[in-house]
Amino acid sequence: MSLLVETPSIDDETLRPLPVHDSAEIIDLEHLKIRGTLDACVKCTICETQCPVARVTPLFSGPKFVGPQAERFRGASSISVDHSIDYCSSCGTCTTVCPQGVKVAEINHHARTAMKQQQGIPLRDRLISRTTFMGAVMTPVAPIANWALRQDWIRVIVEKVIGIARNAPMPVAQRQTFDGWFKRHTPHPNSGTKGQVIFFHGCAGEYFEVETSIKSVELLEFLGYEVLNPKHGCCGLALQSNGLYDDARKYVSKLTADLRSVNRDAPIVTASGSCGGELRHEAHEILGMDDEALKDVSFRTWDICEFIMDLEERGELPERTRSFEATIPYHAPCQLKSTGMGMPAVNMMELVPGVTVIESEQPCCGIAGTYGLKKEKYEIAQAVGKPVFDFIKRVNPEIAACDTETCRWQLRTATGANVVHPIWLLHRAYGL
Amino acid sequence: MRDVVVIGAGLAGLTAATRLMQQGKSVALVSKGIGGIQLGQGTIDFLGYTPDLIHDPIEGINQTVDDSHPYFHFSADDAASAAEWIRDLMGNDLLVGDGHKNYRLPTALGSLRPTALPQPSMVFGEPSGRKIVLVGFDRLKDFYPDLAAENLRRQTNPDGTPIKARAIHVDLEVREGEVDSSAVQFARALDSPDVQEELCRLVKPHLLDGEVVGFPAVLGLADTNAWKRISQRLDHDVFEVVIQPPSVPGMRLNERFTRLVKSGMKDPGAIHSIPDETGVLASRSRFILGGHVIGFDTDDDRVTSVTVASAGHPTTIQAKEFVLATGGFEAGSLAMDSHGTVSETLFDLPLHGVTDEMINGDYWGEQPLFRVGLKVDEQMRPLDTTGQAVYSNLRAAGGLIGGANRWREKSGDGIALLTGLRAADSIVSAGAIDSEEGSKK
Amino acid sequence: MKTIDADVVVIGGGSTGAGVVRDAAMRGYKTVLIERADLAQGTSGRFHGLLHSGGRYVVSDPESATECAEENVILKRIQADAIEATGGLFVTTSADSEDFADGYEEACVNARVPVEEISLREAFKREPLLDPGLKRAFAVEDGTVDGWKLVWGAARSAELYGATILTYHSVTKIDHKDGQVSAVYCLDRRTGETVRVGCSFVLSCAGPWGGEIAAMAGCHDVEVVPGAGIMIAMNHRLTQSVLNRCIYPADGDILVPAHPVCIIGTTDHKAGNADILPIPQDQVQQMLDAGEEMIPGFRKSRAIHAWAGARPLVKDSRVSAEDTRHMARGMQIIDHKERDGVSGFLTIAGGKLTTYRLMAERIVDAMCEQMGDKRECRTADEAVPGSTDHRLYTLDRRLNQVETETEAPSGQQIICECELVTRKKLLEVMDGLTDFNLDDVRRQVRLGMGPCQGGFCSSRAAGIAHELENVDAERASELLRNFLKNRWIGLWPILYGQQVRQTALDSWIFLGTLDLEHLPEPATEVI
Repeated sequence: MSLLVETPSIDDETLRPLPVHDSAEIIDLEHLKIRGTLDACVKCTICETQCPVARVTPLFSGPKFVGPQAERFRGASSISVDHSIDYCSSCGTCTTVCPQGVKVAEINHHARTAMKQQQGIPLRDRLISRTTFMGAVMTPVAPIANWALRQDWIRVIVEKVIGIARNAPMPVAQRQTFDGWFKRHTPHPNSGTKGQVIFFHGCAGEYFEVETSIKSVELLEFLGYEVLNPKHGCCGLALQSNGLYDDARKYVSKLTADLRSVNRDAPIVTASGSCGGELRHEAHEILGMDDEALKDVSFRTWDICEFIMDLEERGELPERTRSFEATIPYHAPCQLKSTGMGMPAVNMMELVPGVTVIESEQPCCGIAGTYGLKKEKYEIAQAVGKPVFDFIKRVNPEIAACDTETCRWQLRTATGANVVHPIWLLHRAYGL
Repeated sequence: MRDVVVIGAGLAGLTAATRLMQQGKSVALVSKGIGGIQLGQGTIDFLGYTPDLIHDPIEGINQTVDDSHPYFHFSADDAASAAEWIRDLMGNDLLVGDGHKNYRLPTALGSLRPTALPQPSMVFGEPSGRKIVLVGFDRLKDFYPDLAAENLRRQTNPDGTPIKARAIHVDLEVREGEVDSSAVQFARALDSPDVQEELCRLVKPHLLDGEVVGFPAVLGLADTNAWKRISQRLDHDVFEVVIQPPSVPGMRLNERFTRLVKSGMKDPGAIHSIPDETGVLASRSRFILGGHVIGFDTDDDRVTSVTVASAGHPTTIQAKEFVLATGGFEAGSLAMDSHGTVSETLFDLPLHGVTDEMINGDYWGEQPLFRVGLKVDEQMRPLDTTGQAVYSNLRAAGGLIGGANRWREKSGDGIALLTGLRAADSIVSAGAIDSEEGSKK
Repeated sequence: MKTIDADVVVIGGGSTGAGVVRDAAMRGYKTVLIERADLAQGTSGRFHGLLHSGGRYVVSDPESATECAEENVILKRIQADAIEATGGLFVTTSADSEDFADGYEEACVNARVPVEEISLREAFKREPLLDPGLKRAFAVEDGTVDGWKLVWGAARSAELYGATILTYHSVTKIDHKDGQVSAVYCLDRRTGETVRVGCSFVLSCAGPWGGEIAAMAGCHDVEVVPGAGIMIAMNHRLTQSVLNRCIYPADGDILVPAHPVCIIGTTDHKAGNADILPIPQDQVQQMLDAGEEMIPGFRKSRAIHAWAGARPLVKDSRVSAEDTRHMARGMQIIDHKERDGVSGFLTIAGGKLTTYRLMAERIVDAMCEQMGDKRECRTADEAVPGSTDHRLYTLDRRLNQVETETEAPSGQQIICECELVTRKKLLEVMDGLTDFNLDDVRRQVRLGMGPCQGGFCSSRAAGIAHELENVDAERASELLRNFLKNRWIGLWPILYGQQVRQTALDSWIFLGTLDLEHLPEPATEVI
């Protein structure tokens, strides 16, 4: 157990009120390129029928309305007139289902950011988007932190003072960090026989979902890869979705440099669906980052299930040595779906003899990063997630699978099931 | 390596994928977005007009079309078995009829639209011998029952008797404070027995003896029998009227069909319950939604792989056979640029029906542009200008095959089905895939 | 036969006619305006929407430039609701020589047109999509104006001063007794009734149709040549400012952001008949090429509609060229007393929309002088109805309204989603019109003018119209069919790219799903 983790302090910048931006500076060429995709919209309504938020609340007028439709009325003034767009959770479903190639979610993301930056971003949003900070603060005092987060009276105060919903799912702090484990672990004998991979754990994988990171490394080593773990931090996704673009860009740049500090030919593998998505496309499409270093990292980044299924397609995956009978309810996180690679986890889990996977067929579990934590969005997020919760309870109330940490917290809290990363099943099937 | 990559998740793509999976093939289905089924009317058309009204759509398909039409490759028997296939696959709670009769069902404008296999929730809309009352929802902007009823009254039944129709309005609030609820919001609300009951409470006092009650097609999405429950509660026959997109009947078909292909169940009967209860999973497809195909590789006259624009790095999918079911101009599969050049946007396949004057300045005139498309052989392989297959293992299905005026003829669904099935069957029967190897993981 | 008595009859409901009827009514004359279709259905509704800063004319016609600059300020004051102060740029693109730019600023100063040369950095900050090879940029006070709103504003103002506006009335005859105009006869096109309007003065503001009107008073060979030009609306604003090529005026040199679209214009060719204005393919290509020079990638963005308008150009050898006392620049007045011996009859043609108020002032001055009845013009001092709060139109206004009028946008029905037209707004307009067609409604609220071109809203609008009295299903269905047919006139000439997809989906909806084609035909033609 390591109590000696570096605890970053919240910098002054986090707490200072944000300046009101001039929209002329916000609207750059990259933004205009995204805006240009609205030309492909034929108003077909497919995005509206699939939007998980519009489905549960009339307060959100739907992705077509706030996206390609309203966007035509924006831009001449530096003052945003948007209100309803604040209910968009940025799950990205609209872009994924659009048959015409409109970047609906990205258009909405920009418009929401413009609105938030003008209204001023609340302290709450600036706090919850510092995932690394939360992890670093909680880990050394894990038992106390976990205890505190289970106390209703504390949560009520937190809700009243900061605006984090009292029943919102919270991560469970671990007594050791992933880095702490990694430094001390003994690599599997197969390690290195097939080359190197870089493991991108993300902040949740470092502090909270440590077990998933460990299993990922053990599996990759068993499959013959030497796993490199350059010291790295957060991808800035939560900052981005809370409208803190400048901060998010700094995080992405730092992360990019860190991941490039070791073997620049090695694939970068991540077990965090959302953070992978940030590097693979959102940093480019939302933050407008276009540098060569990011492109390199983006190109080399693999979702771990995708990576394993690629081995399988090439006939390089060893046979599973153990089987177990299980029906696994699986929910694919929206951000993972938006990367356009399908659902490799489904096919991967079914490589395990005896395992049957049932997919939720639902767009979103409701949490959408930090959306479902917010007091004013909590009920909506719960309603969005309800079909997924019901699905898990119906198919297998004991164990379920999902690729992204925040989604797992949401699903665990709502269903009581042990919701694991899909990699756990394969890890077990190899007897690791 | 997969046996077959199917590109496109509309009726043609889903049909081809399902048929291949039923034959034990491993399939990857790649689609840019959700397919077009939920934009249509949610029934299966074969042929409605040529331009005269067709009474038997299945017999009609090759008596009335010329050799440039996609139906040229198909017999009435093919059409009859395709009708049976899709009806059985979707289940009798979603499709009825044998395809030998065109049901003429009221639309939101009050026209009588011919279709071969309607949803059972629609069939009481045939006006002959009935007194119709159409119910409008004040909070639904896509259905104006007075207009539809009055337009129905301007027409006569086949026996020359006037059509009887009137309209009523109810104010069903499906979500608090919302006055602009979409058809889908209504349908989701009407999945709930409580809302069904509320609707009946509002409607019942307005009904006259012997009337059949027409609602906009929003009577339940997940609950395909909502219309029956409403009918029982009202003690009147009820029917659904097709409205503009989003199409709830289309979504019912699309969701069921998509689920089938995604999860790959062998037994079509099993799709009505969740699969773990039946244990009939075949090899599932690899299903990529939001996967825009941006390139392909070839070896001699064969396509060897397609490349999907996944985030970060592109994903290459290799397969032995390929089915292109990407739709027509409405889907961007066919395009015309600002210089008037038309093209097939993925494989740049040769197009047929291209002339100098493709757009007619009269709105009601023929639009040759919308007949432009691929020309295919018996096996649905796109042909070049000399009549040779462009690639030996690439087949096409659905709206990108040219020669039909799908919307006016009401032939789009039948074309998608027949060409999708033929593309799949010709892959299997040509023995193009060694099935031993193909089914091996 | 219905009879009306008036002092003055104004023929033509374009901007000139509307300006004149307002001016005459404000001076206390009993005035009747007769328009054969809807207001601003001709030239005034078929232009690119530019409110000139004057910058276009500083070199070619400095007086005109000064008039524009002055009227620009006046109209922003009195017709704020119809005008957006977008600002404009004169740009020297990589394809242009800098000759014109070199003397440009000085010419502006001489013509009293406000101008400022801005840095390229500033230009790109304002308009990031500009040609990266941009050489020079000058900022001017261009704005955009909604021609329909402008004309309706003037007409409503005239009505408040007692004027009568007769739309869908065709003039059939102009009577004169002993060389003095006495009455105008017209036909109510919807009821078939003839209306006689007794009067002592007729002002013909029929634009390119001026020759035909003059002939009805027995004044022959008035030659008004329609100078036709095409415009193309792109789906969304590629720029937020008006873009002008900083070159000698040429075809396709203006890109105007108007409402949520931007409009490129325009060409110039002689049309034989102002009622039949084709949109030739070569001119469409010419416009796209011109757009491409200002905004690279222009061709790949989505065109949604095209139209042609006809400038009225008088080519009459019998008009005295010297007598310009009453004229604004670019406009011509024909005094039929002098020319044909018919007193109480003036024909006015030419001019530009930006100076429409000034033109009206001059014409009515001329009339007063002929009548020997001097009355002051007050049109520059008083705002028209709808603009009395002097709030200039802004692009985000409708979005703001639907976002804030109710708790959420879903608290009201949005009938035309592309242009954010609510059911309430639609009903307001329908209530204010008698025997409307959907194009009349469109011109007031932009119904069906967005990307889907009526694909999703027009059957809703027909359904709502049918709920009103006097609109039966036959008429409502015909309103829908005519609307789609008319939209098509401006769609098919620019049908390429994304708009093909839209048209395919729209055809799927109307011809496929709703089977509009097989509704019974109407018994009588619907206008």
